[in-house]
Amino acid sequence: MSSVELPQAARIHLPGETGVWVFILGDMLMFALLFAVFIYYRSQDVGLFAGSQLTLNQTFGAFNTLLLLSSSWFVALGINAARKSLGKISARYFAATFCCALAFVVVKVFEYGEKFNAGIAITTNDFYMYYFMLTGIHLIHVVIGMGVLTFLWHTARSAELNEKNINVLESGASFWHMVDILWIVLFALFYLLR
Amino acid sequence: MNKTSQLICAWCAIPFAIFFTIGIWPLAGFMPPLSPDLSALEIATIYRENTLPIRTGALIMMSTSGFMCAFLAVIAVQMRRIEGRFDVLTIAQISSGTVGVVAFIVATVAWTAAAFRPERSPELIQLLNDIGWIYFLMTFSTFVVQDFVVGFAILGDKNAEPIFPRWLGYYNLWVGVTFIPGGLLTFFKTGPFAWDGLFVWWVPFIVFFSWYVVMFVMLRRAIIAQSEQPLTS
Repeated sequence: MSSVELPQAARIHLPGETGVWVFILGDMLMFALLFAVFIYYRSQDVGLFAGSQLTLNQTFGAFNTLLLLSSSWFVALGINAARKSLGKISARYFAATFCCALAFVVVKVFEYGEKFNAGIAITTNDFYMYYFMLTGIHLIHVVIGMGVLTFLWHTARSAELNEKNINVLESGASFWHMVDILWIVLFALFYLLR
Repeated sequence: MNKTSQLICAWCAIPFAIFFTIGIWPLAGFMPPLSPDLSALEIATIYRENTLPIRTGALIMMSTSGFMCAFLAVIAVQMRRIEGRFDVLTIAQISSGTVGVVAFIVATVAWTAAAFRPERSPELIQLLNDIGWIYFLMTFSTFVVQDFVVGFAILGDKNAEPIFPRWLGYYNLWVGVTFIPGGLLTFFKTGPFAWDGLFVWWVPFIVFFSWYVVMFVMLRRAIIAQSEQPLTS
């Protein structure tokens, strides 16, 4: 590949290192399966799923969507700042991203708590099985993502912002964008789908 | 260095994957798994009508489970090349992997006990069958830890010539994530999260055995590369 020099415009910049896309694409494949299974079982019993959906708290869902969309914006700003060698500013953006993630987790705890108080659990019905399973698996990703964001914050703050480290930052940011995009699909499937 | 011993340990993955699959699938007939939704009498009938195949299948599964130990060792030896003297991830890999082997062995023991006296009361056969499947599929946490420490070690490789490619590190992290839903089989008797469902059985089963093949290929490559280095002992 290196022997053929492509013109600048023809090169595609893959954010982050190539290897991280093995994880991202593999994980998205797993979620695609989860979504497909949800849609299949929903089509078998639309009444139950639509009825249960009405008991979800749309405000929590919409607020969390807003939080993750903002977090994706912050992480992108952080990468931009890092590319301009503004390590301190970049780190601040990553800290803001982390705060959005933390707020997401807190909202989710309240949302789950509200359900448990209403006597709704993972075994209540099929809709709630998928709701708790899929949002729960996603929440694990958010928590892993908070670890990744802490690492990004630390790297941006203390490491030299050379090409290699920016590549590392991009890898983490790509993971975070995946966490965001998966939530957007989840939000649409669980809270909005009619 | 002991290239031959390492290669033999790496090759252990192949008889394990092949014979374990033969034991659980055509012999014991556990593919797809016996549904957790079956009644005690239905489970007992399966064990009574297939006593010999289940006993033989469990024996084959038991015979090949030990191969995993040798395979864990060769992963550890190659991880140690990454980590050096204070090889905490390597040790975590050995301990978590070993407990994983125990889960396979206990599952096989439970199935054997169920098939050992098929004339006993159906409830007891069902109980042993349940214990077998739950041991086999719910014990996800050690496998998650094992895959994560392998992944982290590979991604943290500071060698000028990395022992493994970096994508293998991310692949291991992904494999770990796919095992997480397994723990939730405790809530369900039907559907995709029951122990015969897509996310507790099919996805982890396929990912688990493909992990053996992928790791085998990459370990073999790493061992051969190590043997070609002039100054390794």
